[in-house]
Amino acid sequence: MTDLLRRLMRTPQGAIGLILLAVLTAACLFGPWLAPHDPEKMDFLGRFRPLGAQNWFGADQFGRDVLSRLLVGARSTLPMALAATLLGTVAGAVVGTASAYLGGRWDEAIMRTIDAVMAVPGLLLALLLVSTLGNGAGNAMIAIAVTFAPGMARVTRAVALTVRGQDYVKSATVRGESASWIIFREMLPNVMAPVVIEATIRVSFAVMLFATLSFLGLGAQPPASEWGLMVAEARHYVHQAPWIIIAPSLAIAMTAIAFNLLGDGLRDAMNPRDER
Amino acid sequence: MTAVLSLRDYTLDYLTGSRPLRVLQDISLDIAPGEVLGLVGESGSGKSTLAWAIMRHLPKNARELSGSIRLGDTDLRGLSPRALTRIRGRRIGMVFQDPSTALNPTLTIGRQVTETLVNNRGLTRRAAWDLALELLGHVELRDPEALMRRYPHEISGGEKQRILIATAFGCRPELIVFDEPTTALDVITGARILDLFARLRAETGVAALYISHDLALVSRVADRVAVMKKGRLVEEAPAASIFARPAHEETRKLVAAVPRPEHRLVHDRPGDRVLLAAEAVSVRYARRRLFRPPPPPATHAVGFDIRAGEILGIVGESGSGKSSIARALTGLADFSGGIRFDGRPIGSVRDMDGAYRRAVQIVFQHPDGSLNPRQTVGEILSRPLKLFGTGPADLPAGNLAAEIGRLLEQVRLPAAYATRWPHQLSGGEKQRVAIARAFAAKPSLVICDEITAPLDVSVQASIIELLLSLRAETGAAYLFITHDINLIRQIAHRIAVMRRGELVDLLPIDAVDADHVHPYTRDLMAASPTPVG
Amino acid sequence: MSASWLLRRLALILYTVFIVSVLVFGITQALPADAAVTLLGENATAEALNAIRERLGLGDPIWWQYLRWVGHAATGDFGLSMRTGQPVGPEMLTALGRSLLLAVAAILVMLVIAVPLGMLAAVRQGKLADMATGLISYLGVSFPEFVTATLLAMLLADTLQWLPATGYVSPLEDFGGALRHLALPVLTASLILVAHVARMVRSETLDVLHSDYIRAARLKGLPERTVLVRHALRNALLPVVTIVALDVGYLLGGIIVIEEIFAIPGIGRQLMVAVTARDLPSIQAGALIMSATYAVANTLADVAYAVLDKRIRYD
Repeated sequence: MTDLLRRLMRTPQGAIGLILLAVLTAACLFGPWLAPHDPEKMDFLGRFRPLGAQNWFGADQFGRDVLSRLLVGARSTLPMALAATLLGTVAGAVVGTASAYLGGRWDEAIMRTIDAVMAVPGLLLALLLVSTLGNGAGNAMIAIAVTFAPGMARVTRAVALTVRGQDYVKSATVRGESASWIIFREMLPNVMAPVVIEATIRVSFAVMLFATLSFLGLGAQPPASEWGLMVAEARHYVHQAPWIIIAPSLAIAMTAIAFNLLGDGLRDAMNPRDER
Repeated sequence: MTAVLSLRDYTLDYLTGSRPLRVLQDISLDIAPGEVLGLVGESGSGKSTLAWAIMRHLPKNARELSGSIRLGDTDLRGLSPRALTRIRGRRIGMVFQDPSTALNPTLTIGRQVTETLVNNRGLTRRAAWDLALELLGHVELRDPEALMRRYPHEISGGEKQRILIATAFGCRPELIVFDEPTTALDVITGARILDLFARLRAETGVAALYISHDLALVSRVADRVAVMKKGRLVEEAPAASIFARPAHEETRKLVAAVPRPEHRLVHDRPGDRVLLAAEAVSVRYARRRLFRPPPPPATHAVGFDIRAGEILGIVGESGSGKSSIARALTGLADFSGGIRFDGRPIGSVRDMDGAYRRAVQIVFQHPDGSLNPRQTVGEILSRPLKLFGTGPADLPAGNLAAEIGRLLEQVRLPAAYATRWPHQLSGGEKQRVAIARAFAAKPSLVICDEITAPLDVSVQASIIELLLSLRAETGAAYLFITHDINLIRQIAHRIAVMRRGELVDLLPIDAVDADHVHPYTRDLMAASPTPVG
Repeated sequence: MSASWLLRRLALILYTVFIVSVLVFGITQALPADAAVTLLGENATAEALNAIRERLGLGDPIWWQYLRWVGHAATGDFGLSMRTGQPVGPEMLTALGRSLLLAVAAILVMLVIAVPLGMLAAVRQGKLADMATGLISYLGVSFPEFVTATLLAMLLADTLQWLPATGYVSPLEDFGGALRHLALPVLTASLILVAHVARMVRSETLDVLHSDYIRAARLKGLPERTVLVRHALRNALLPVVTIVALDVGYLLGGIIVIEEIFAIPGIGRQLMVAVTARDLPSIQAGALIMSATYAVANTLADVAYAVLDKRIRYD
């Protein structure tokens, strides 16, 4: 693990990604303590106060401190995106591995169905699911997980099929190893790396999707300081205070960039044999 | 008479990570007009880099430190990219190792041949097309007219190589560089390409640099042979004498490693007890699919037997079904027909119990793929020991480690390798670990599926030596699948010849040259070049 | 490409539409909304509610309701909107037309920018142009559409006042106005695609440039220009067809947000309105039409690829 971290730090993408991730983690863990102000405290004299010593990132339409809201809002964005990705990855990995393992007609049927489900644009599927489950952060998370699962199933299956065709797996089969040994000891460690990389990159999509759902009024609900919601609320005050739009926008982008970079860094770091 | 190609004290480094890596050191050589110089060396000897240096197509991290490369009167090193374009194809041609990747997959053959002729001979499209037809006809391709309208994927590898050779000769260069032009082809196809090369060369009198890892082959096609080792030219000698009087140690090593059918390595005779008998084994891949015709079987009713301690060779071209036999015998492919092992009938994969799986082991072709990259050598070797209970009776960690060490030493590897990861080993070392894994099960039959094909000749020779000594120690029988006829004639007791999924011959080793063999067997034997002298 | 291959592709479209219809129908059935109540309002009498349930067949078994819905949908009849009382099918198809205008324009703009950008980056690998493209790609894929849309509108419409912030004008009525109104949405939609496609074009081009046949083409003395144009670019562009087709799905999702922000009455906005109003027939029609569009786009891309690429034998 420490070895992986060291190798990750050696790639520029990995290093920047890790640093950004550390900042985000700090915001998630210690956001309320780091925040210079109470994120809910309204100050009608300080409405639309520009960036300055009093409010570093300015104040919003109620005079609430934007930086404090961002720091606290990290908690309602990042953990949700991570949970959604994790859930979708696990579900997808199980289906994908099963499909690759079963092979034949089952594989064909499962994959064609997954292709069909993927014909529904991701945001549309999430939209439909949330409207069924009801608005809210938890339901948005579940919807994103469901949306991700087919794609992850496809990735996992492709990797699993490649690994299954390798001679070391054949060698285990010929030896008469049990199915569970072959899957968990021979195949899984080799399937893991590409799936982890793919999932990392997908966290950035989850962050964006979650923020989008909140922006559309289907995800996190006011008065939460979820970043997508903050952008949605700020749109009416473009003329008075552009910073209340720009700050959460950049927070979303920074998070997405962090996971994109981290994924690319992992791709290099997890492949010790590739010396190009 | 001035040389066509002349290198003087040419030295080249590759810049890698920490410090430069010397790839070519003080290379000096000449090729006279009409002469064929063979260049031999193992992988990593620098022979390919030399070819790229002559073609002026070096990777970005290459640094030429000194020396000159002259083509006739032209100093190639001093040429601008634009001037080089006028040299390539027109004055130096090149024929590549793998014809299937040397042609653009999305353009027709005709277009690719004519564009070269238009560019290099200054012909009109019409004239180039006519010349292309003539050239293709001249290299014994049937129906050139139709061939010109096809795409590369629609024709065979041998046809592609003929087309590439025809194009290279058709541009009338002074020199043609051949980079292992038969390595990617089947034995018989390769032999015909060599015949073609000899004929065209006699007709045109072109000079050539012929690069190969195969000393026996080079000694047949070249006038002179140059041997490379670690970036140095260690010996240059007339082809006729290099086998008889190798001067340098590296050459002697290469000569010794060349398999010679008349030089048998196995002198004993196997017992009479039949260990395994295959009865009408057919393998069929790929299930039926909607809207598609069923695929033909990979092997069709193949029957043979292997006696205890015997070495049975299976030879045939790629796609002949020889690997499918290995897959059927190890339960990797479903088969119809039956197998008898030690008298016990095995009708399907389900009948292969622990005892059978222990007794029948397989070593795969590619050492890179056959070891799990996320397990250490020790973990890899401990599995069969635990699974088959062939390890020490009590299995505390210490005894297991000792047994793994013993296995490693048995395959001539240091016991300390147990803690290494596969990617830290060389190809030959990986193959040794795979062999150790097979012998950990104390097998009575080991199937070797092209296990020496990806290895250098000297490594190949040491692997064969290892297998033979393991056989002497354990009495295991081998089913040795290969396309290397000369190699198998050195070690097998009997040879099975396969073609298009069928067994066409099953002969004792001393009968392969007899008159009554199948015509295909005769072609196959004739196509394997044996060293001259 | 053979007839049986086309037949298989066609069967796949049908299967896709079938699965999507089951999915859409299933999800909308689970919606916590009683169609009768939605239609008549909370204060309707029990008899009236029962009567309309009878008329809509809400008491029938679920599979029968599904079959009836699919049967009608196949003829273009998606029922009446619960919100407006108008037939849903024609309304959605009109909206789809506007969305396709936006989508096609976005794809064209994207291709014009992304393909040269990706190729330039590949040919000049490691140089400034390559690094700039890499940076653009990273930033591009990290901004969700609603952020890009909001920021672009803020800059180009509010601050600089170059373009109208919202609204839709039919190009048949006022071409110039339509262009001005489409500019921001198209720019937004194409930005994330540019980032993704430029990156893919770069890696495809690099693969081709490093291939044996390009090396062979150079070594047989063809001029660099011929090598690049006739041998490399052509082959590098082939996979882009597939990549773009896959991105259409992403684009259709993005269109929902973009149409919402820029107030374009396309299928995405219709869907958002329907979701907010829990208008079942509209949700079903919108979702099915959108997914079917994507499935057809994908198949068209496959066919185009098969026609362009002679390597693949479809049998």
